[in-house]
Amino acid sequence: MRPPVIFSTPSCDFLSPQQEARAFGRARKRIFATLLRQTFAHSRFRVTLIVVLTSLLWGGMFWMFADGFWFLESTITQPDTHARAVGGVFGAFFAALMLMLVFSSGIILYGSLFRSREITFLLTIPARTERVFLHKFQEAIVLSSWGFVLLGSPVLLAYGVVSAAPWYYYALLLPFIVAFVYIPVSIGAIICLWVVHRVPGNRLAVLVGGLVLLAVGGAWIAWGLLTGPRNDLLTPDWFQEILGRLRFSDYRLLPSWWLSTGLLDAASGAWSESILFFSLMISNALFFRQLALWQAGRTYRSAYSGLCGKTMRRKRPRPMRFDRLLSWLLGPLPAAMRLMVIKDLRLFRRDPLQWSQFFIFTGFLVIYFFHIPRFTYGVSSIAWVNMVSFLNLSVVGLLLSTFTTRFIYPMISLEGRRFWILGLLGVPRRTILWGKFFFAAGGAIVPCSGLVLVSDLMLGVSNLIVLSHQLTCLVLCLGLAGIAVGLGAWLPNFRDESPARIAAGFGGTLTLVVSTLYILIVVLLTALPTHFYLAAEYANLGGDVQGQTGVQWWLGFWLAAGTAASLILGAITTLVPLRIGFHALQRMEF
Amino acid sequence: MIEFDNVTRNYAHKVAVDGLTLKVPPGELYALLGPNGAGKTTTIKMLTGLLRPTTGSVRVCGYDLASDVRLATHAIGYVPEEPFLYDKLSGREFLEFAAEMRGLDGSAVNDRIRRECRYFELDDFIDDLAETYSHGMKQRLVFASAMLHDPPVLVIDEPMVGLDPRSVRMVKDRLRELAAAGTIVFMSTHTLAIAEEIAQRIGIMDHGRLHFLGTVGQLQSELASSHTSLEPLFLELTAGNNGRLRKGMDCKLKIE
Repeated sequence: MRPPVIFSTPSCDFLSPQQEARAFGRARKRIFATLLRQTFAHSRFRVTLIVVLTSLLWGGMFWMFADGFWFLESTITQPDTHARAVGGVFGAFFAALMLMLVFSSGIILYGSLFRSREITFLLTIPARTERVFLHKFQEAIVLSSWGFVLLGSPVLLAYGVVSAAPWYYYALLLPFIVAFVYIPVSIGAIICLWVVHRVPGNRLAVLVGGLVLLAVGGAWIAWGLLTGPRNDLLTPDWFQEILGRLRFSDYRLLPSWWLSTGLLDAASGAWSESILFFSLMISNALFFRQLALWQAGRTYRSAYSGLCGKTMRRKRPRPMRFDRLLSWLLGPLPAAMRLMVIKDLRLFRRDPLQWSQFFIFTGFLVIYFFHIPRFTYGVSSIAWVNMVSFLNLSVVGLLLSTFTTRFIYPMISLEGRRFWILGLLGVPRRTILWGKFFFAAGGAIVPCSGLVLVSDLMLGVSNLIVLSHQLTCLVLCLGLAGIAVGLGAWLPNFRDESPARIAAGFGGTLTLVVSTLYILIVVLLTALPTHFYLAAEYANLGGDVQGQTGVQWWLGFWLAAGTAASLILGAITTLVPLRIGFHALQRMEF
Repeated sequence: MIEFDNVTRNYAHKVAVDGLTLKVPPGELYALLGPNGAGKTTTIKMLTGLLRPTTGSVRVCGYDLASDVRLATHAIGYVPEEPFLYDKLSGREFLEFAAEMRGLDGSAVNDRIRRECRYFELDDFIDDLAETYSHGMKQRLVFASAMLHDPPVLVIDEPMVGLDPRSVRMVKDRLRELAAAGTIVFMSTHTLAIAEEIAQRIGIMDHGRLHFLGTVGQLQSELASSHTSLEPLFLELTAGNNGRLRKGMDCKLKIE
């Protein structure tokens, strides 16, 4: 062996924290500039679609909140009660957002600090641990706050317009929001680091426990708000009672209370009080950020190392009776298609991110249906009950469209680099797509039809409506599954491995837009004629029996034609996207 | 100097690395071999500061990877098995970031990038976005970024994966040059021919333990085998249930 060379300790010209920050910032700016350039060069249609849809959503929310604030102003004439009502609404809104920000930032930071490939690179270069953490923390701030800006800005601007707020209210909005966002994101980061550092083996249990607590707390508050007295709805007494139930958001140590009080003070012209709350917010934001940074410096590397020890264990899934049962139930299908459906179900079941989001969606749906009786509010009008029943059908359809966009559309894309396995299987590619279609449609029909049936029974609608809803539900499920599977094969995204990112891309956005339009058209085709047909039946048009019969006949014809049109539209919407998907899949190279 | 001092690393109840004691002096080209799941990647991750030992210590140039991680990683250039690059940065921009993080200033950055571009023939694609690179191009770029700051220790996990024959030759020559100049090259590989050709010492791990440390010739005499090349010797030692290690004959082998 060559004689060893005398080796000197390397000189360590470490960057100062400022130089490090500049180096990271420069790299990030370059990445952002490239992204922006590419997006405007290659995805103009997508950008236009996103801008138009976001503007519509924003405008709709602004209009709705402005209308709500006008209503509050005209209904509650007492200035003190009015101020308390608005304070209660703001406080509850920001408290809910704060809780969501804590959770979302914790989950985002877990993914970026412990699961991303970039981290294995950053932890092997001589960057300060705190800088690596800050780099990801800042990303979490941006990722968390865009949703806050989208949801919060129409509320705050609407209030400013309605209350004729002075200019500094608008000037303070963004600084207030940014300072506020820092607090829950820092708390989310601290919880994330603590959980991974202290209980890495039980992190999933902690997450599920937190989500369950959040869901139970949310349901408890929602239940409390929706189970008030029925007869004095929207009266001053009702407002007083609701305000009493929103008192939890009035707790003086909650940053959401500082935010709402500071902004309301600014809107009412009390600028000095507003600045006081702003200072309080800034100082707390800096304190929590520093706390998170200090904790990261102490625990991040050891937490990362500890987590690797927990995740590198081999896992052996247990065979499930459910798979055998499903295989038996799918017996009539060709073997290849049956295996494909079972494979997709297994992959879905073994990905906690997928099924946890699935259960959150389902939770919202169940909470909504729990409150169906509240929508009747003792109103005996059959027209109102029918309208609510069709509203329920639309809600099920819209939620199903988010399910199919989020979970079904990315399925072909997720085959990604593994597509060659399917490509070489000797199974016709058409079968692959049919398998995914049956998986989607089969998984949708049973719960959706069940929910719509339960809602109809709770509302006590007529048999005709029940039948119409079941038929519409079937048409919706088949059509939405066809759209998601067909467009998923036509516009796959093999670059991303995250189903959430795939669904958020152009193909996913298009799927959601087409699905929404489809639901609206189908529900209108069936709901309007049914509504008028039953309204005419109940209205009892008086002695003109001949005229009444004529109107009834025309309405009956309209009902039949609308139903037939929705069936035809359903068949087209199911088959055309699937056909496009078949062709795209046939041409696909791997 | 790289020093593993009685290092053990557990994953829950499984011992991934068991009592590893190893010293690699400056100027040595060392290859760590072993079957899948032997503990090589865990060893590399501990050497780069990504994982911490459950017991024992890992030191690079005298710096402990647990307590002086920044000083230690400053002394290391690391080429992982799966190269990471920012898709939306060009190769040059990535190298500039890596050089800046290593404390190189403006003119030195450009000089070093030019030097590595020449060595690894990056000029044709250095200004393209990394998302357009093949695996081999990425691997060459990551080699370049690991060597920008002339680290005294180069750690490489599977150096030749995805490289074409010309690039393999290029990398082998460069590693030899570096070792001759006093750099420690610590690599983990499944490509026995490469280890045999360029490594001065090899270590063979299995089930978390280092069972052999020495030259190919020493391995042959230890096993009293008629084979002269590394591949049959390695298989004789480790392969399946018939390997000698699996039969509990490891204690006879020599660890220097």
